[in-house]
Amino acid sequence: MTESKQELLRGTLDMLVLKVVALGSSHGYAIAQRLQQISKEFFQVHQGSLYPALHRLEDKGWLRAEWKQSETGREAKFYSLTKRGRRQMDTEVVNWGRLCDAVGLVLRALEKES
Amino acid sequence: MRWIRRLFQKSRAERQLDQELRFHLDRQIADHIATGISPEEARRRATLEFGGLDRVKEEVRDTRWETHLDNLFRDFRFALRSLRKDRRFALIAIFALALGIGASTVIFSIIYNGLLNPFPYKNANGISIFQIHDLDQAGVGGRGAFSVHEFLDYREQNHVFEDMVGTRNSRILYTHHEGAMQLRCAKVTPNTFEFLGVMPILGRWITNEDGRPGAPPVFLMNFKFWQEQFSGDPNVIGATLILDNQPATLVGIMPPRFQYFGADVWLPLTLSGAPVGNNNPSGQREFIVAEERRKPGVSLEAVAADLDVIAHRLSKIYPRDYPKRFNVWTDTLASDVVGDFKSTLYILLSAVGMLLLIACSNVANLLLTRATTREKEISIRAALGASRGRLIRQLLVESFMLATAGCVAGCIFAFGSLKWVVAAIPADNGLPGEASVTLNLPALLFAAAITLLTTLLFGLAPALHAVHGQLQTRLAGSGKGVNANFGHGRLRSGLVVVEVALSLVLLIGAGLMMRSFFVITHVDLGFNAKNVLVAELSTPNGSYNTPQKVKLLYQQVLPRVAALPGVLAVSESLGVPPYDFAESETTVPGRSHSEAWRSALELCSEGYFQTLGFQAMRGRLLSETDIDSARHVVVINETLARKYFGNDDPIGHTIKFNIFDELPGGPKDTYFEIIGVVGDFKNAGLQDPPMPQAFLPYTIAGFRDRAILVRTSTAPLSMIKGISQEIWAVDHNIALAQTGSLESFLYRFSYARPEFGLKTLGAFAGIGLLLVVIGVFSVMAYTVSLQTHEIGIRLALGAQQTSILTMILTKGMRLMAAGVLIGLLASYYLTRFIASQIWGVSTTDPLTFAVVVIVVVAVGLTACLMPARRAARVDPLVALRYE
Repeated sequence: MTESKQELLRGTLDMLVLKVVALGSSHGYAIAQRLQQISKEFFQVHQGSLYPALHRLEDKGWLRAEWKQSETGREAKFYSLTKRGRRQMDTEVVNWGRLCDAVGLVLRALEKES
Repeated sequence: MRWIRRLFQKSRAERQLDQELRFHLDRQIADHIATGISPEEARRRATLEFGGLDRVKEEVRDTRWETHLDNLFRDFRFALRSLRKDRRFALIAIFALALGIGASTVIFSIIYNGLLNPFPYKNANGISIFQIHDLDQAGVGGRGAFSVHEFLDYREQNHVFEDMVGTRNSRILYTHHEGAMQLRCAKVTPNTFEFLGVMPILGRWITNEDGRPGAPPVFLMNFKFWQEQFSGDPNVIGATLILDNQPATLVGIMPPRFQYFGADVWLPLTLSGAPVGNNNPSGQREFIVAEERRKPGVSLEAVAADLDVIAHRLSKIYPRDYPKRFNVWTDTLASDVVGDFKSTLYILLSAVGMLLLIACSNVANLLLTRATTREKEISIRAALGASRGRLIRQLLVESFMLATAGCVAGCIFAFGSLKWVVAAIPADNGLPGEASVTLNLPALLFAAAITLLTTLLFGLAPALHAVHGQLQTRLAGSGKGVNANFGHGRLRSGLVVVEVALSLVLLIGAGLMMRSFFVITHVDLGFNAKNVLVAELSTPNGSYNTPQKVKLLYQQVLPRVAALPGVLAVSESLGVPPYDFAESETTVPGRSHSEAWRSALELCSEGYFQTLGFQAMRGRLLSETDIDSARHVVVINETLARKYFGNDDPIGHTIKFNIFDELPGGPKDTYFEIIGVVGDFKNAGLQDPPMPQAFLPYTIAGFRDRAILVRTSTAPLSMIKGISQEIWAVDHNIALAQTGSLESFLYRFSYARPEFGLKTLGAFAGIGLLLVVIGVFSVMAYTVSLQTHEIGIRLALGAQQTSILTMILTKGMRLMAAGVLIGLLASYYLTRFIASQIWGVSTTDPLTFAVVVIVVVAVGLTACLMPARRAARVDPLVALRYE
């Protein structure tokens, strides 16, 4: 099992999903496509983690879901960001920035030493 | 199940999930088709990328909490199904757990309701008592009764109590139109009822007004007494009863559980009167027992420290009432009332703890057996994708169901047996009278808690074991009969060894108690207690308080009783031998000694020696003339002669008993001439060596109510009616109290407690042994079934049946031997904790140890024998075809 890896990704995946949905309400397929486009195929988002993430975020009240007609005319489940979801996204983005800065700082410091 | 689905709208959620994922998949296929791939190839590729619709669904479901609930539900259903399939296993396991949980619950309810929370009083856990403990005496506790002055001083000078109440516990004579009756009476300070916070069910409390000097006398009545004597008639409130020759008004009835000091009636105690003792007709100083409620947050130690200062101040004022070196000893009320019985209860608690462990290892063993036969099932389920956690949970759910069923059965068992156990608790020196021992909420919660505990205790190890190692490779093996897979053989054997050891400890405990009980009941009393009736003659206060009056009474009563048919001998005595006697410092002229010489005194008539069946060893016994003319003569026992006279012949010497100097109505400064020596009897209780004792004519002193001893030719209790008629013919106002056969008093005071310990511990040890039999049997039967193949081969190769039998028995005996050895070692260290419960046998009594070992080994051997014989009778052909 690759559970530890998934666990590691889960937090960041949640943030990315929130960020994508923030651009406008969309369904799971569109979100997956979008993630793939943006990340330039840098990482693959499996449906096995995307859909649990979507449902989890919906459960937490960060995403709202409604059934709407999709561009093909077929009914699809559209996700959009709630107010709480936006706040959550903002904090997560800030935290992520801090984490990156901190890790960068450490790496630079270590580089200098060596 | 359907309703629960509907409840969670599960089917709708499922449909929507399916729709959502299908949309995704279809879009992906469409996208692939758009790139120009054939529809079939597009579908294949998309499905591959998607990674299995059902797997994704399962992962999404896992994010929902309903799923976990649902899984648990499914686990329960599955467990129920699999337990139903193996009914014999389930029943044995439930039976074992029911015994373990039931026994624990019984003992817990007794401890909780009898020791931790026995009183129906307001904030009862804050009530404590204190005693003056003589530091030169062994043990704990000491004098807990105080004179009025002391009581008031402690009450006024302490800084640790919210309130303090006092009780003078005595007996009172109730005269009614048919005769007289002695009642147990508690005179309580008027603040007592507010202190206890218990409302009467009828009428009113005793208030401070009732305690004022000159207030009209009132009293409260015990519910049971009210039911028995007045058939619960509510109109009796306000009635006037004659108590100790004085009219008093009944103002209230207390509720059934209110048994304060075990009294029939409660009267107000006036503390402001003249110094008690001098104007008191019975001549004895009267003492008050104090109870106090501590201020919030004040510990018992703080109480002791505060009172110590007061006590040392008081010891300067009343030097006679305080020992040379003392401290103040404190205890909670419940702990004080239960007294020594506490240790019996705690020993029983540890015994049921052991019993529970035996039951748990038993069930764990059965589960391991099952796990082996289920190896294949578990491997298949693991191969089909069940995670280890899921499997463990499944197995634990099964254990939990067993434990729950065991808990329910155990509670029923506890409910049924609690009555019997409570009835067996000794009435004297047992639980407080207020205690109502039932299977109440705390007891049931306790049962539930140990159910959870036992689930983990017996379920976890087998569950971990079952999923341990490479599950898939097990599929390759046959799952049965493969000795290489006999991994948990060691665990199973270990469990049997533990069981045997624990049950050995229990049996040795019970065995020691049995031996001790035998010793106690066979103590040579030195007198013949059979067919002797004892009756205390309770006289109205002050009417028989001079030697002349006492003589007048008994010289009429004794001949009348003696003349009754069936009476062989009759005598006056101070009370119930060997428990009641007066004690006095003793002076022998011409002999000096450093320590105090104390003797037990008996005031009796000439029939005493014949009634109890002893003869003079030297000199002569008291004669009728000695009694009639109240001659200053005395018969002594052997111990007195030996201790105070050494090798000299005591006959003709004189001896003085200092107590008579202090008692009103006693012969002051009188030396008694020794006229005879009798053999010793157990005058200081059954378990202590005899004290020096002197037998004096009862006519020399006028203190205290006396008793009569009657030796009868038939059952003594059948004589009570005739005897009381003769007594009432002399004086209508005399009541018979403490009436019973001497043997019944011996039982109550000396045999009841050891008998209770013996019965309960014996029952627990018996249950433990039964569980061990089941345990040993199941392990051996299982081993045999595992080895059927091997045995078949051996037999086919020409092994004798007897050698197979020996092989199996040896294996069984090895387990037993290990268990017995560990059990013996454990007993050797543990039995010292029951030293307080046994008497007359050593805690490491070799005979008890030996007999118990023989019993355990014999029983274990029997349990092994059946599987062994089955093994020996294996048909090689069948066994080999088995594979």
